[in-house]
Amino acid sequence: MRKEVEQGRPDGKDTWPEERLRGFQFRKIKRVLGHAYQELPFYRRRFDAAHLHPDSVKSFHDLARVPTFTKKEVLDEMKKKGTFRTGMETFNSADQAVLCMTSGTLGTSFLYLPKRWRSLRGDSLARAYWWGGLRAGMHMLMAAPAWHSLAVQESRVIERLGATCVIPWGTFLPRFAENFLTTLVDTRPDFVSMFLPMLYALLAECRRRRMEARLAFDSVQYLLIVGAPMTPRSREQLKEELGVRDIFEGLGNPEGLTAMECSFHRGHHIFADCCYVEIVDPKTGALLPAGKRGNVVITSLIPYGTLYLRYDSEDLGEILPHACECGRTWPLMEVYDRRTNTVEVAGKEIVPYDVRLCLDDFPELIGVPFAVVRGEKSAPYLKLLIQRPATGDPYGLGARLRALLRQRLQIDAREEWTEELPERWKGVAVIEEKDWGTPRV
Amino acid sequence: MRPFKQLLRYALGSPLLKKKFGGLATDIAGFKDFSVKIPLTTLEELVAEKMSSGDPYASRLCENGAALVTLQLEYDTETRLYIALSRQDLKRYAEALRRCWSLLGLGKGDGVAIFDYGTSPVSYLASSAFTPYLSQGAADALGCLPICNDGVANMSQRAVEILKFMRPQALFIRSDCLEPFSIESERQLGRLSGYTRALVVTENEGCLPKAEQDAYEKRLGLPVYRLLRIDAGMFLAMECPECRLFHSWKDLYYVESVTRAGDDVDEGGQNYLAITNWFARVCPAVRYLSQVKGSVYSAGCRRGPADIRIAA
Repeated sequence: MRKEVEQGRPDGKDTWPEERLRGFQFRKIKRVLGHAYQELPFYRRRFDAAHLHPDSVKSFHDLARVPTFTKKEVLDEMKKKGTFRTGMETFNSADQAVLCMTSGTLGTSFLYLPKRWRSLRGDSLARAYWWGGLRAGMHMLMAAPAWHSLAVQESRVIERLGATCVIPWGTFLPRFAENFLTTLVDTRPDFVSMFLPMLYALLAECRRRRMEARLAFDSVQYLLIVGAPMTPRSREQLKEELGVRDIFEGLGNPEGLTAMECSFHRGHHIFADCCYVEIVDPKTGALLPAGKRGNVVITSLIPYGTLYLRYDSEDLGEILPHACECGRTWPLMEVYDRRTNTVEVAGKEIVPYDVRLCLDDFPELIGVPFAVVRGEKSAPYLKLLIQRPATGDPYGLGARLRALLRQRLQIDAREEWTEELPERWKGVAVIEEKDWGTPRV
Repeated sequence: MRPFKQLLRYALGSPLLKKKFGGLATDIAGFKDFSVKIPLTTLEELVAEKMSSGDPYASRLCENGAALVTLQLEYDTETRLYIALSRQDLKRYAEALRRCWSLLGLGKGDGVAIFDYGTSPVSYLASSAFTPYLSQGAADALGCLPICNDGVANMSQRAVEILKFMRPQALFIRSDCLEPFSIESERQLGRLSGYTRALVVTENEGCLPKAEQDAYEKRLGLPVYRLLRIDAGMFLAMECPECRLFHSWKDLYYVESVTRAGDDVDEGGQNYLAITNWFARVCPAVRYLSQVKGSVYSAGCRRGPADIRIAA
């Protein structure tokens, strides 16, 4: 009996003393550097161009000499070669493997993921789900967006932890909220893994059905949310509204990052067993210390399949300077948004998360979809499109929101209320003005 | 007649099936007897059962402890239906997909693209990476490399990118994505034959009409085949590139062509397909009456001499 309860319990790596952890990570980094140099032409060329041999990397500081690259460079390489095989992957036709994709406005890149990659990354991710409360014998609701590497990892997590799962028909788009909600009510899962915009779509569906969200989520103990940042206020409001024990936020990307909140919710612990994270100045490429915002640069520590080594994700984030009260030694980080979602307003750089924090000060606007409208030039004021909330007077709210934005961000704002926003996987953060037309503000 | 005995032994563990034929199923002497004694199960019946019992599996579930993966089915019914699968169910269901792929000629080293939702059996049975507790998907068994694009029609642009950069041997595509994909591929790729060898159109309890199939073949300049899904029966059948009939397999399914009232129809007659699934232990499907009009032909195609053949 005891054995069953303990299935999937993570090892103690997350409490290793810092020195031991860094030694462990550095050995892994050396291994992937050597692998990249020997086996992967994409990296060999870059190393050679930088006059760098992996043997000369003797410290974390030396690693910063390895040139970073962005998604654009991956896409350019694909276009040049006419194939998904960019030389970043160890390709073996005898492997059991799948191809997954990354989403994004720049274009689609591909990840070759063999079984060994799935085992390592999935087993690492199992720790996150364990922290989030998933245990053997529990029933988990998940989506199956098989194009995304998360689906590949989640399938492993479920096996590893000995859970069962239910999969609603469709995918993580609001139009499938009806299916997801019905599945929730019909099959009463204990644990739900979901994109945040989909969770809000479920709440809207509850309102449409005149059903209390608490009733729909009656069986659910824990929620694991990914895909968009959740503010502290929205977490509290969601916990209250759904009646769940806790809501955890995971961070990650297919290229290598896994980070996850523990029950203290003080930031996201970087999963040091499968990735190494640096924050760099986007202009100079210099490493930034903890507490400074910059671009998130990822090195995957898994030397199988497609390998991302010092990949500039172009996400805006920071390593948090404080230790977590939980006692785990894996560093904490926060990711605020895509750097491309930055909008310049009156000479200030604003990201949608800054706006979200303000919106969530108003109970009627917590979780309500919104977008920042960006023109070609720096705007004198912030233009917002906000989905009309189910309750409350939007015009009165607008005035209070403008006042709060002025106080917190020192910018003026104008808002337009809309019935709905375009449908995207992770919600819509920024809309180009030319794509929306000139908003009537 | 061991298969009947075995099937009925575990099927009677399902409250719905026990209620339907519990007292009738003791002495099944053969296929004819089976068809006479065992009543059909319809989609409407499953819906009604789910609504009255509140059981998501429409009282079909037996061996509850073995159910590891539950899937909501793609039926536009008043209430949603589900199936649950054990490891063994998943393995045999994936074997059906493997045979579909094999019939198409897919093998070691081939890329296979899927423009369908991850919740479609065409996707989730493709790889053990996509589905928990699936030990071997069709791609794993054949040594293929699969990719799934999701089934949203406005992902056609991404489907085209897949063709450009992967050049799969075949693209499995939902029928409702076929037209948007065709437009996008014509715009970006010109003739598709430079990027893949065949399209396979899939639909749950439906088939692309032959005339449309021919029109797409002509328009796109490559073979367009069909794959038949009957999800409530966990059934898959593949159109054969040679005889152009759907092939199915006796060790996985028993296929009948019957009237709505359940009467048998002679070979070549057009009626509805009823599926008995030999492998599904957790949610048995016994004489599930599909909405697919079709007739059963005798075996005899060179590509699968022992396979059951279906015209639909």
